[in-house]
Amino acid sequence: MSNRRRRGLGGGAAALVLASSLAACGSDDGGPPTLNWYINPDSGGQAEIAARCSEASGGAYQISTSVLPNAAAGQREQLIRRLAAEDSSIDIMSLDPPFVAEFAQAGFLADVPDDLADRVTEGVVQGAIDGATWNDEVVAVPFWANTQILWYRTSVAEAAGLDMTQPVTWDQVIEAAQSQDVLIGAQGARAESLTVWLNGLVESAGGSIIEESADAPEDIVLGLDSEAGRRATEIMRAVADSGQVSAAFSTDDELAGANGVVSDRGGFTVNYPFVWTLAQGLVEDGGLDQAVLDDIGAAVWPRVDADTPAAPPLGGIDLGIGAFSENVDLAFEAAECIRSEENQAYYFTTNGNPASLASVFDDPEVLEVFPQAPVIRESLELAAPRPQSPYYSEITGVVQREFHPPASVDPNSTPQSATALMEAVLAGDQLL
Amino acid sequence: MSRREKTWWIVAGVAILIYCLFPIAWIVSVSLKAPSDLTNGQFLPTNSTLVNYREILTGGSKDLFLPALRNSFGICLIATAISCLLAMFAAYAIARLDFPGKKLILSTALVVAIFPVISIVTPLFNVWRQIGLYDTWPGLIIPYLSLTLPISIWTMSAFFREIPWEMEQAAQVDGATTWQAFRKVIVPLAAPGVFTTAIIAFFIAWNDFIYGISLTSTDAARPVPAALGLFSGASQFENPTGPIAAAAVIVTIPVVVLVLLFQRRIVAGLTNGAVKG
Amino acid sequence: MTQTTLPPVEKTQPKSAPHGTISDRSRAERKLGWMLAGPAFLVMLAVTAYPIAQAAYDSLFRYRLTDPDNRSFNGLSNYWVILSDNLWWTALGVTMLITVITVLVELVLGFALAMVMAKMLSSIRPVVRAAILIPYAVITVVSAFAWQFAFDIDTGFVNSWFAWIPGVSADTDWFGGQGTSLLVICLAEIWKTTPFISLLLLAGLAQVPEVLQEAAKVDGASWWQRLWKVTLPNMKAAIMVALLFRTLDAFRVFDSIFIMTNGANNTESVSFLAYRQTISRLEIGLGSAVSVLLFLCVVLLAGLFIKGFKVDLASARGEG
Repeated sequence: MSNRRRRGLGGGAAALVLASSLAACGSDDGGPPTLNWYINPDSGGQAEIAARCSEASGGAYQISTSVLPNAAAGQREQLIRRLAAEDSSIDIMSLDPPFVAEFAQAGFLADVPDDLADRVTEGVVQGAIDGATWNDEVVAVPFWANTQILWYRTSVAEAAGLDMTQPVTWDQVIEAAQSQDVLIGAQGARAESLTVWLNGLVESAGGSIIEESADAPEDIVLGLDSEAGRRATEIMRAVADSGQVSAAFSTDDELAGANGVVSDRGGFTVNYPFVWTLAQGLVEDGGLDQAVLDDIGAAVWPRVDADTPAAPPLGGIDLGIGAFSENVDLAFEAAECIRSEENQAYYFTTNGNPASLASVFDDPEVLEVFPQAPVIRESLELAAPRPQSPYYSEITGVVQREFHPPASVDPNSTPQSATALMEAVLAGDQLL
Repeated sequence: MSRREKTWWIVAGVAILIYCLFPIAWIVSVSLKAPSDLTNGQFLPTNSTLVNYREILTGGSKDLFLPALRNSFGICLIATAISCLLAMFAAYAIARLDFPGKKLILSTALVVAIFPVISIVTPLFNVWRQIGLYDTWPGLIIPYLSLTLPISIWTMSAFFREIPWEMEQAAQVDGATTWQAFRKVIVPLAAPGVFTTAIIAFFIAWNDFIYGISLTSTDAARPVPAALGLFSGASQFENPTGPIAAAAVIVTIPVVVLVLLFQRRIVAGLTNGAVKG
Repeated sequence: MTQTTLPPVEKTQPKSAPHGTISDRSRAERKLGWMLAGPAFLVMLAVTAYPIAQAAYDSLFRYRLTDPDNRSFNGLSNYWVILSDNLWWTALGVTMLITVITVLVELVLGFALAMVMAKMLSSIRPVVRAAILIPYAVITVVSAFAWQFAFDIDTGFVNSWFAWIPGVSADTDWFGGQGTSLLVICLAEIWKTTPFISLLLLAGLAQVPEVLQEAAKVDGASWWQRLWKVTLPNMKAAIMVALLFRTLDAFRVFDSIFIMTNGANNTESVSFLAYRQTISRLEIGLGSAVSVLLFLCVVLLAGLFIKGFKVDLASARGEG
């Protein structure tokens, strides 16, 4: 027994209280301490990296992984509930960047030592550093950085006369899809991915959902009720009404979009780099023709305004170290190993999750597996994060409530009603 | 009964069978579909495969499913045992003794049975995390008693009322000691009722979802229904539909076996507790 | 219109001591009774009364778990926030809609099933009885997944099987709107709980005196007349018990919604609303207030049934 707690069956509650507060029992039997790493579901990459780092530590620690739920909100829920219970068994967490501020503000993240903060931010793309920063302090270790790009079918773009070597706009994409009667994939489901989409649109239109963040909820300056918010809503509605989205658009997630673009009606999808890994896997399993794979192209996210560069969505994972962990130093040591250049390259090529270290994009091996790496890197440099606020979960909750389903948003009223609801929820005057 | 009438009853019986078993057949069918076959739009798989079962029993999802299965069995059995033990004493008192407060106990059981679970979860979550019961077995066993205990008391007291207690005295008259009379006469009469109650209580605990998702967060205590919602596919690129269906089939097997073995008793238990005098 | 019921039989109280005198024997019996039933009674109180009292207390605070330092007493304002919010009323409306639809359908369908089973040949009865227990015993979450997969636009077969129904096609997105989502949720609930109702009603049917049926037959009453004048009035108690249990059970609907829609498209029930405030948002104060309100709703409903319909559960089971 190394990483599981001992449990007394049917014992008295008191004994079990003790047992439940017992953690890191690995040290009891003389073996190396076990670090628990809570990971988001992937294709096995993080488990492999955990094994590699355990090996590399030369017996200093052993990392065991536990998988969190699929949805970003579910991941936050699981972690924050445990941390609110001051759970010492959480050593390392794979955190979605928008939730970092909340965790940091609540005191759930161990302080990052200054020297380590310098080391893990050197050579890292700016967006990933921003995501791991709260109140001008690096509070988490940037691991990998994600961004959405525009995946398209070369044959469709050609037929529609769309020059993909130049930046394209949403209007052009919609028009091209309509002229060729192909699908546009976006994330219309009531989930975090809807906020990702809206935030990308608002940022690309030159605005921000939160103009100015603050510790106190009443001091937050909201930015949806603006020309940028209106324009973003307009595009969301135009996509939903284009007639070129899937029949189940209001429940479509990233996976549905990825499957859509490789389908017979595939055209365009704004989506993460994993689309490429997915398509390759399908070809290997015989579920997809090589010809389709060869037809897939990638470009930077569509622009809202033809003359303004897009601000594509930024995602990825930061490694937070639990404030109540009994092995904080070792956990930081492990985090530094996890985010090493080598591991990032491995993760990129096998799981399709891009690196946060800029140098990885120049790795010839990476380029061979991911010919789109330069596009991804360009996108990462343009990308804008989602609002950083300890109240992010409320903000995204309101967005998901007010902007779902996308086919019913109204550019002239939804941004206003969403803003009003955000204010009321932040002030505690309304439910969410 | 005429031949024609007979045929109609058989048709009606078959219709009920289809009604009851169709969704089960469907989930079994989904569990046998390969990932690429899931969207075939048909009821049956094009080619049956056990890939989903491999995924949850030996593959990537086994660390999610197997501990959950163990937790579910352990927690539900313990909760059932405790509530049956408590209910046994209470039901004996209600069925055999005359004391004021009988009605109070039965009414309390009724109120507890209709209690909205979510109203209990909110405060429990807060208390549990303070005293360290969050995400532990007892942290689920204790609230499960609110589900299993009331139904156990009702069902068992209905069973116990039908026991001819005079036989105990008769046995004592015949020279048996009190203990012998109890063991030889009462225990065999009471055992079926206790056993049936245990099955019904187990079903109820096995079915819980709200406590499971609210009061746990790791495989230390997470029961199967809560784990079902957390499955992901073999990779992040696959829908978890197949593995969920396979896991759903596996957790349905125990209840189906219990139903097939003890159907007569279960029906008696369910209806006795609620309706019969 | 007259209904035919047998006059109530006087219940004999076999063992009670005469009123007024408390003999040693009855005192000892009382003590023993409480000693035996007391632990169960205390446990029931501990797992319900205590939490709801705690919830009532917590509901008076503004208290967010990620911001524990700013916990502050704010009286009844959480209740005001909830009751003045559309979200609460939408959730309440959805909950009542689901309750009314499922309970009504289940009652009718359950009665039909019970009638069939009552007359069924004894040779196939065990098979049918085992089958009918299966929906009851299947985990609600499993049933919810089965129905969700069946109606899902990608994995389902419903769209291809029922394309001949106007309005259903390969592109019908059942979980894309409120009405269709609720329909599927109701179907799943109905499938799962009708068997339980039918078993209760079957037991009730068995209690209808055969004499009355025969007498009505002799009088030339039609099957329909016998149903309304003899059968139903005589099983009123069973119907009411089934109705009460199922209504209060349906009012707590949570699992199916969580699995199928996760509350999207205005399909949120009151239980789901409470869950989200406490467990997802960690707003302990607001969540507790929703919980208390839900509890009050259930108490109110139960009260309505017991007073309004005069369902006396104790007497229904001869408890007197």
